[in-house]
Amino acid sequence: MTSRGNLLLILCLGLLVVGVTVFLSERRIKEYRSEQFLMDTLVSIKVYGDDAATLPLAIAAAYGEMHRIAALVDRFPLPGSEDCRRSDVCRINEMAGIGPVHVDADTLAMLLLAKKYHALSAGTFDVTIGPVLDLWDFTGDVPKVPASSTIVETLSLVDIESLEVNAAESTAFLRKVGMKLDLGALAKGYATEKALQALAGQGIKKGLIDAGGNIRVLGSNARNAPWRIGIKDPRQADALVAIVTLEDAAAVTSGDYYRYFEADGQRYHHILDPRSGYPASENMSVTVVSQDAGLADILSTVFFVMKEEEALTLAEKLSVNLIMVSAAGRISHTSGLAAHLEVLPGGAYRYDPR
Amino acid sequence: MTRADKVLIAAVLLCALLGLVTIYRHFFISADQLLPTQATITVAGKVLHTIDLDPVGGNEMMQITGRLGPATVEVAGGRIRMREANCPEQICVKQSWIQAPGSTIVCLPGEIIIHIDGLAPVDAVTR
Repeated sequence: MTSRGNLLLILCLGLLVVGVTVFLSERRIKEYRSEQFLMDTLVSIKVYGDDAATLPLAIAAAYGEMHRIAALVDRFPLPGSEDCRRSDVCRINEMAGIGPVHVDADTLAMLLLAKKYHALSAGTFDVTIGPVLDLWDFTGDVPKVPASSTIVETLSLVDIESLEVNAAESTAFLRKVGMKLDLGALAKGYATEKALQALAGQGIKKGLIDAGGNIRVLGSNARNAPWRIGIKDPRQADALVAIVTLEDAAAVTSGDYYRYFEADGQRYHHILDPRSGYPASENMSVTVVSQDAGLADILSTVFFVMKEEEALTLAEKLSVNLIMVSAAGRISHTSGLAAHLEVLPGGAYRYDPR
Repeated sequence: MTRADKVLIAAVLLCALLGLVTIYRHFFISADQLLPTQATITVAGKVLHTIDLDPVGGNEMMQITGRLGPATVEVAGGRIRMREANCPEQICVKQSWIQAPGSTIVCLPGEIIIHIDGLAPVDAVTR
């Protein structure tokens, strides 16, 4: 070989190294995303992996779980319809005051969670709120403030102690005629957690489920960093109050700004205090960060109805994290969140880190 | 040089060329981000419009048809909003203007989504 040939060979080998390096860096992991209108909200799921063929299958399995849970808790099918027969909640409500109904294992699990957290919530969480929710009719065309006497009367039907759940027999029974279950405060989170388990079961290591603002992440994000989740400013569209970083966890928010109407200059939103039958007024928004989306969904409602100090104390006791914006415009959070939280400047709120 | 040397050199050059092409594509992708911010309007999963959000642009009204009937989308000064929509709760209308990349307005009953494309500073927003 001539020396010129050697030189050329070395040059080419150099180029080869460059070429291979760039080629490998280009081989990024693949993303697959999909959106569906489901459970009265927009659910979007994105997953990452090397094997492009398995990603859509995993997403289909996740939506399958969410559709299954949605059908079990649907409260508004026509009485006696096929959809009502498939919905445990619809059948339990139809049989209120009449007799126990056999329910699916997931419905049973949700009802047991509802009872457990009612007991821990000092009365701020009650899934038998259905009759009072119906009075307010937040989802209707012309929602209006019900007469206070009607609310007081109807509150006698809000009584989770009169919900009998028999775990051994897998049955549930509302003892009083007219009682109605509404699992709106936990079904979406529970379904999100089920969907995430379906993704993991299909071998997915990285993904994000956004069920109308209920966030559950699997692993780290596409850049192998913790997922960055913005927390919406409760008063300003398009703005964030903070960013929280998450891995293998959920962030779920309850706010007074999502579903509401105004009457006589006052805002009436859809999260009712089961003790009064009126919208809870202590906070503008509460975000719970926990390992489990179902638990985070329940607790965001529990804490939303509570006063700031009461909520922070209970969160520490239950070993979950929260960040809240009180009605007075104060941002506060549990100490465990400090290392994962960036409170953004420029908002209209007060924040004194402790 | 033997025949094997030549084959090797040819193979090496090919790899290097491949590398250059990928580098070029990288450039192309980053140049892409300099394009103006765009919004996409989707109805029932189908993309209906893609609009440039020009920061100095004038008002523009767009009539679209969602699941529950007509809706009006307004674009002005780099922002976009649902001006009118045929839906009971008017959540999408009350949300008013959005302009940040990654922001979304959703009209659930109408199955309308307005999404501003581009890299968001966060992966998702809890609300």
